[in-house]
This record gives sequence, C-alpha cells and structure tokens, in this order.
Amino acid sequence: MSTKSNLWGVLAQYENPHAIYKACEQVRDAGYEQWDACVPFPVHGLDKAMGLKASKLPWIVLTMGIFGSAFMVLFESWAMGSAYPIIVGGKPLFSLPAFVPVWYEATVLFSCVTAFFSNWILNGLPRPHHPAFGSKAFERVTDDKFFIMVEATDPKFDLEKTKALLQGAGATLVEELEP
Amino acid sequence: MITGTADTLPDDPKIRGDVVLPDPTHGREALVRGTHDFHSITEMVCRVNEAPLKATPKPFLFGLALAASLLAMFGGYIGYLLWEGPGIWGNNNPVGWAWDIVNFVFWVGIGHAGTLISAILYLFRQKWRTSINRYAEAMTIFAVIAASSCVALHTGRVWMDYYLFPLPNQMGLWPNFRSPLEWDVFAVNTYFLVSLLFWFTGLVPDFATLRDRATVRWRQVFYGALSLGWRGSMRHWVTYEKAYQILAAFSAPLVLSVHTIVSFDFAVSQLPGWHTTIFPPYFVAGAVFSGFAMVQTLMIPARHWLGLKDLVTAKHIENINKIILVTGSLVGYAYAMEFFVAAYSGNDYEGFTFLNRMGGPYWWAYWTMISCNVLTPQLFWFRKIRTSATWSFVLAFFVNIGMWFERFVITVTSLHRDALVSSWDYFVPVTEIFYLLGTFGLFFTLFLLFIRFFPVIAISEVKSVMPQANPHWEGYEHGEHHAAATASAGGH
Amino acid sequence: MSHSEIKKPEDITVPPSSFLAKLPMLGGILAVAGLGATLGSAFGENKGRAMFAYLFAFESVLAIALGGLGWLLLDHTTRAGWGVVVRRFVETTAATLPVFALLWLPIGFLGFHELYPWSHEHDAILAKKAWFLAPGLWYARSFIYLAVWSALGWFLYSTSVKQDSLGDNHAERDRLVHLVRKVCAGGIFLYGVTLSFGAVDWLMSLQPHWYSTIFGVYYFAAGILAFFAFVTLMTMVAQSSGVMKTAITTEHFHDLGKFVFGYTIFWAYIAFSQFVLIWYANIPEETEFFMVRMEGGWQYISYGLPVLHFFVPFLYLLSRKVKRNRTLLGVGAVWTLVMHCVDLYWLVMPNYGAHGEGHHEPHLSPSFLDFTALIGVFGVFLAVYGVLLKRNKTVAINDPRLDESLVHENY
Repeated sequence: MSTKSNLWGVLAQYENPHAIYKACEQVRDAGYEQWDACVPFPVHGLDKAMGLKASKLPWIVLTMGIFGSAFMVLFESWAMGSAYPIIVGGKPLFSLPAFVPVWYEATVLFSCVTAFFSNWILNGLPRPHHPAFGSKAFERVTDDKFFIMVEATDPKFDLEKTKALLQGAGATLVEELEP
Repeated sequence: MITGTADTLPDDPKIRGDVVLPDPTHGREALVRGTHDFHSITEMVCRVNEAPLKATPKPFLFGLALAASLLAMFGGYIGYLLWEGPGIWGNNNPVGWAWDIVNFVFWVGIGHAGTLISAILYLFRQKWRTSINRYAEAMTIFAVIAASSCVALHTGRVWMDYYLFPLPNQMGLWPNFRSPLEWDVFAVNTYFLVSLLFWFTGLVPDFATLRDRATVRWRQVFYGALSLGWRGSMRHWVTYEKAYQILAAFSAPLVLSVHTIVSFDFAVSQLPGWHTTIFPPYFVAGAVFSGFAMVQTLMIPARHWLGLKDLVTAKHIENINKIILVTGSLVGYAYAMEFFVAAYSGNDYEGFTFLNRMGGPYWWAYWTMISCNVLTPQLFWFRKIRTSATWSFVLAFFVNIGMWFERFVITVTSLHRDALVSSWDYFVPVTEIFYLLGTFGLFFTLFLLFIRFFPVIAISEVKSVMPQANPHWEGYEHGEHHAAATASAGGH
Repeated sequence: MSHSEIKKPEDITVPPSSFLAKLPMLGGILAVAGLGATLGSAFGENKGRAMFAYLFAFESVLAIALGGLGWLLLDHTTRAGWGVVVRRFVETTAATLPVFALLWLPIGFLGFHELYPWSHEHDAILAKKAWFLAPGLWYARSFIYLAVWSALGWFLYSTSVKQDSLGDNHAERDRLVHLVRKVCAGGIFLYGVTLSFGAVDWLMSLQPHWYSTIFGVYYFAAGILAFFAFVTLMTMVAQSSGVMKTAITTEHFHDLGKFVFGYTIFWAYIAFSQFVLIWYANIPEETEFFMVRMEGGWQYISYGLPVLHFFVPFLYLLSRKVKRNRTLLGVGAVWTLVMHCVDLYWLVMPNYGAHGEGHHEPHLSPSFLDFTALIGVFGVFLAVYGVLLKRNKTVAINDPRLDESLVHENY
C-alpha cells in the first residue's frame, strides 16, 4: 500500500493515441478499478481498451422525454378543453392536430435539457479543482498529450509497482499527484 | 482554380488550402492540409483568441465599431418603437405588417445551417463538418437572437410578452395552443435553447484548451469558469459523446420542425399564395439554403484573415456549394410546384396571385428572388466555379439577397391584394430599413466578439478526424511515433 | 486506411438450389395467378373494381423500384461508401423499372376510362384543367416518365455490372465512376420532376378536383421508405440463401435500419404537413380528399395510419438493439412494407365508384382482386429481380469503395 500520507495517485504521460491505447489495455488487464485516462479528444475504441461500460445517459433522457411528451399533450388538452374552453377559428375544444407542434417541441425541450444537465451531473462537473491540475505536464492534456492516472485508493495500488507498470507501458513521464 | 494532387501540395499555408484536388474514386481527401500534428492544430486555432487585447487587428476593431454603432442605432430605434408603438410601421393595414415578418423569417432561416451542420451532417457521418460547425452554430445562435428581436418587439405592448408563455395566473387564462403563433413561441424558444446547449457542450473541451494555455489572469478565470473543470477524462468523454449524439439526434428533427412551424404561420391561413401544402418542406429547404449561403459568406473571409485555410479547404467550399445547389434547386422545385398547382387547381384566386407576383407591382422583387435563388446557384454545376472562393462568395451573397426577397415576395405580394379590397395597398418601407440594419448590427457585433474570444474551430473534433487520431493508424504500426499527417493519408 | 489487407467476399453468386435462385419461378407463379385473376376480371363486369385493384398494386410496387432508383442517385452523388456491399441489390431493384413500363400498359390502355373520371366527365372545374388533364398530353407525359426511369435504372445497373469485369483496368473503372456520378447528379433533377408529375398524373388526378402541392413528395416518401424495408428483407433473404454471408455485417443492417427509421419519420412529417394544413384552413376544395376518407369505413384506416405506420414502427425501431438484430429488424421491415401497401390502398381505393354513373359513397370493401393484383404485380417484380440477380455477381466486386464498405463501422 501507499507509504506517503498525502499521495493522491500517479500520473503518467503518453505521446499518442496508439501508446495510450496499449497502456490502457495493460492497466485494465492488471485489474485496476480507480483509474482514468485523460485525452484531448475521444480516442476511438479507448473505452473498450479501458473496459468502460456504456453510459446510463440515454435511459435518463428517454424517461424525461416520455414524461415531457405526456405532460405537454395532457396539459394542452386540459388547458384548451377544460380550464379555459373557448372556440377559436372553429376548431373543436380538443383538437389534437393543432396540439402536435407544441407537443413535439416540448418533447424535444425536455429531452435535450435533460441530456445537457445529465451529462455534467453524471460526470461530476463543474469541478474547479482536480489533483491532476497540480501537474505542469497535465496542461497539455487538452492539446496533444495523453495521460493515465491511477488513484492511491485503488486496492491494487502500490506506488512502485504501479509506477513500473505505467513506465513499462511506454510512459514518457511519471509523476506523483497530491490532493 | 489551382489544381494539383495531394502529393504535390505547395508548402505555403496561404495558398495550400485553395488548391483543388481531383475527385477521388476511392479513399477520401484529407480534411486537414499540410503536415500538421495535434499541437499545430491547437496553435493555429488558439492563435486567434490568444493575441493580447492591445494587439487586436485594426480592421477587426473597425468592423466591430461599425457593427456596434449599428447596434446602438438599433437600441435607439427600439426606444422609438416602444415609445410610438408599431404604428410607425404603418400597421393599420395588413401589408404594413410585412417587414418585421420578413426579417423574422429571414433570420430564423439563416439560423438553420448551424444546427444542420452540427446535427444532420453529424448523423450522416460527414466528417468535413468538423472544421465549419463551430462558427455555423455560433451564427445560428446570433441569427436566432436577431430573429427573436423581430418577433418580440412587434407585439405592440412588449412588456406584456410574458403572456406568450403558459404561466399560471389568477385569471386562469392559458395561451391558445391551437394558434400557429403560439407554436412559434415554443419552436423558436426551444430551438434557441437547444442550439445554445449544443453549442456550449461542444465548446467546453475547447474552453479547457484555452484555459490550460492561458497566461494572463483574466483568461484563466474566464476560460476556467466556462470550461467547468473539464480534464479530458475518458470516462467523461463516454457520457459526453452520448449526450452529444442525443442532442444531435434531437436537433436534426428540431431544426426541421422550427421552419416547418414558421411555414405554418402562413400556410394554415386561407390566403392565396400562403396556403399551400408544400410549404413545410419548401421552407425547410429554403432555410437550409439561406443558412449555408450565410455560412459561406462569413467563412470565406474568415478563413482568409484568420489563416485557417489548412482546415477550411477548397473541398469544404465545394461541399457547401453542392448543398447550396441542391437546396436552391429544391426551392426552385417548390416555386415551380406552387405555380403549377395554382394553374392546375383551376382556382382563380390562386392563379391571380401567382401571375400578380410575376407581373404585378412587385415584379421586381419576384424576379430578384428567382434570379438569385434559382438561376445563379445553377452556376455551381461547374466545378471551376464551385471550388473558387471568389465565385462562391459572390454567389452566396446573391443567395442572401434572394432569400430575403423570397420572404418579401411571400409576405408582401399575398397581403397587398387580399380578399378585402380596402386592404389593397402598395407597401413602402420608411423607418423599417433601420430596423433591418439594426438586426445586422446585433448579429455582427455578437459574431465578431465570438471570433475574438471563442475558438472558431472545434479543435478537439478536428483532431479526432485526423488520420493519426486512430490508435491503429498505419504510422504507429510502422513506428513513426511523432509522425504528422500527410495529405495522402486520407481522412476516413 | 489502417486495414491494408481486406478480404473480398467470395460467396457472390446465387447458389443454384437456393431460395434466391428460385425467385424467378416463384415470382412467375405469383404473377401468372395474380395477374390472371385480376386482369381476367377486368374483361368482365367487375372491370372498374379490377382496374382500381390493379392500379393500387402497380403504384405500391412501382414505389419500391422508384425508391431504389432514388437511393442510387443520392448514393452516387454523395460519394457514400458504407453501402457498396448492398448496392447490387439496389441496382437490381432499379433495373426492374423497364418492366414497369409494360406493367403500366393495362392502366393506359385497358382501364384509363374507368380509373380517371376527367377522361370523360365535364364540369366547370375540369374545363379549367383541360390544358393539363387532356388524354393526349397524359399519354405523352406517361411515356416520358417511364422512359426516364427505365433509362436511369438500366444505365446504373448495367454500368455497375460492366465494372465487375474490368479487373485491374483502373483507368476505365475510374472513368465509369465519374460518369455515373455526373449522370446521377443530373438524374436527381429528372427524377424529382418525373416522380412528382407521375404522382399527379396517375394518383392525384383520380380525384380531379382536388390538388395538393406536396403530393409528389408524399409519393416519394412512401416509396423510399418501402424501398428501404424491401432491400433490408432482400439482403436477409440473400444471406439465408448463402450469399455474402460475412461481407454484409450487423453494421450495414444497422444503417439500413436507421434509414427505415428515418424515412418513417419523413413519411409522417410529409403526411402530417399535408393533413394539418388542409384540416386547419378547412377550404372545401381541399378537404374533399380527407372527407371521403373519413366515412364508409375508411376512417379506421385514416386513424390507423398515423398509429400503425408511424408511432408503432417509430417506437419499435428507436432502439439500437432492434436495428442490430436481424430477426427484429426483419419484423420491422415486413411491418413497414405491409403498412406501405395499406397507405397506397388508402390513396387509391376511396376513388373507386366515387364518380360517374352508379355513383355511390365510397366505402371500404376489400376484394380478393386487391390481393390477387398485389401478388401479381409483386410476382412480376420478384421474377425479374431474381433473373437479373442470378445473371451477375451479387456485389459490385470491382467498386473502388468496396473496401471502405467492408470495414464499415457505426460509432
């Protein structure tokens, strides 16, 4: 186990998508759980190399979309047919064809707003500070460098062994991170 | 037209992007020209934003000053409008309503290209969209703001606009959901909000790039706040990409629905020339047409001045022109179909309206529309013309004019001879011209500020379509670890 | 491209004893039985009913072939790469178009009088339409449509087949690729105009007082949707007959499924646009179309179409899992094809008996003639399809984008 008290984890830098892809496969196969790869753009297939599961997001969006859709068509029918019944343009009180546009827009609105906020909430963002931001090298994660970080709380974590693993996978730089 | 092959591209980035490459039968033309790696892409795009404030180019400041003064004028005009009321547009006669509706439809139409590029081209796996989607989306948002200003201000008592929304109130009163104008409220607001969310979602990783590169405090704080602490975590990317995909999947039908509903404003009525069933797809095609023309108009100068020709190449210009050609022809199809059915129907009023458009008092508007929308875009059949930046700029500019006139023709010609002879009038704009100019001021002020402070190219998306973004790219297997893309490597 | 050695498919001929090889015979039997029964009745006292049944069947199946032609034109123009492995099935669909010129003959020369009331009726409105709805012009236009479609369909098919045997002659291959692209770009325009006016002439003029500017788009939407369902099924049939078993992957089916899904939405969009504008404005000349479809039993189909032709397939095909599962996707495709026929039935049939002597309110009364006509025309289509497919390789083996299609993956 880790020996330093204020150690958060280890950060390793890789130079290109190919290198990080191979490294992620090794870290995954070594059985780590609490680790992450940080990349400037989504590297194709990296989620599989890391052994990540598919996102739950579509299900949340589907639920809220159906809710919004049902809510709006019922609301329109109630508002036009019961709460404020008034004939306009010779249309019946319950005139479904005329409700379709707003019904449709509401479905889209609920779904998209849900997708937007769920994305940030599921990802735990906004998060102004992260231990990795302490590293000078990490500033290029949004430019052209590729990183793996392994957290010290991972049951498999061992400072020396983990470092050796990351180094052996082709890291060009390995750093220790403080919280 | 400079032609060449992918292997013999010149080294000068100022002309490299203009070279026209042969249409390949297999493989795909590289989307990024020249020997670029990920870092040089970042540099190329961020350079525009990172110039110190004092070093802002003079022509840019001049443009901004011009746009801002138009905006200031617009502010004054709005004050005048609110003080006097919409009577200043001659609204005591149906045809006097025309101008604000024309402007609204014009701007909303322009607002369609951004979402179309981001969403529909995304769903169709058109990777070339990555170098144009960002500012097309920005253009969308600013155009929708300009459009909203037209409708929000034409209601008369603007301070009562909240009645447009279904807010609970003690009178138990609800808006009329059967009214196409209420549909508009929902459509335009939903569209604006969803486009904004979509745009912002795409911007976050690029804001993070600017944050990480920031050297001055205000940039660190500004981009730090906007980037939400994005750190490029692959776990985040998985959810992020799913969210982006879902937003795209919803935006695609949304963008169609918005102009469909705008067309309903006209088409559910019984006015000859407005009431025709082709209106929904016809308006959507017209919106895409005008939106792409505006993208072209803004992009051709921007790629030149901002030095982005390696990212926005002759291929991009050609592709946009092809879309302009197709949608322009669809619009031509709709004109022809309307005209044919007016004759086929045997309905005298329909027949009169269409003949009156061609030969009546507004013949000049009609023929401007036909020339700019249907005839001149046909020049894009020639490859020499559709790959030339100059020609494209000129013809796209014509389309902008033509599409404004299209809305003018639809609204004004049908209203100036409606069923009541007492409504017949010849519409002469007086102060309305300032209104149109004002919306341009609003649009360009926002757009220029966007260019200065926000990344104009979706940096992370462009990187992801470069050949070396694929972890199984040949170069890695041959051990070229720092290899840069060559143009022949293909963009697939 | 990273995959330097991509294996080209080898199972690209129709095995002699497979189901696919029996298509001509099967189609032939259906054709003889179906057309025999239908056209036989057309010489008896049921002539009007038989001709309406025949028109319904003709338009339903023609829509599929025209949809195939439309897809080919778009596919070549946009330089699409994903679909090269299934393109031969599409080219074969479009290559059947010349046969539709023959199948059209009974409409033009046997049932013209029964089908089209404007051919012999006179009233004030029809008098104003005489410049367009005149028999001579109608025949001339019909010949133009059929000629354009046949020429385009056959050209695309035969050029693609010619490419198969070119081997390493890349210069000639590339010349053909560029030629096809040019023809297709221009072909879209011819296609759009002929298809729209074809829909006006053969379908809209059944109810000659009525008019709708979107009608051509409606027929296009119906056709391309039915086509994608058909080609999905045909690809599955081919695979079960031992053709292209590994070359066509789940990824391609996923894309086909997306198109069925997308065009389901498109069809609903066009149908709704036409309906809501006519419903809202409530002008008598236009509401006529929906009025006759709101009584006499037709209202059940009118209410059923949005539910069964849109909501059900929309929700069903929404799921990625369904589109990536062949059995489930096949069910969706069959459903779509059936609903396509119902849609066309709803367009054509209410006009039967609505005009002329013996005028009566049109009521929904299915006849065995509808069924025999449908299997008859579909049988001819299948027989020709089978013959053309058997004659050649089942994939455009020499297409320069074949590799791209073979390794295609959705993201």
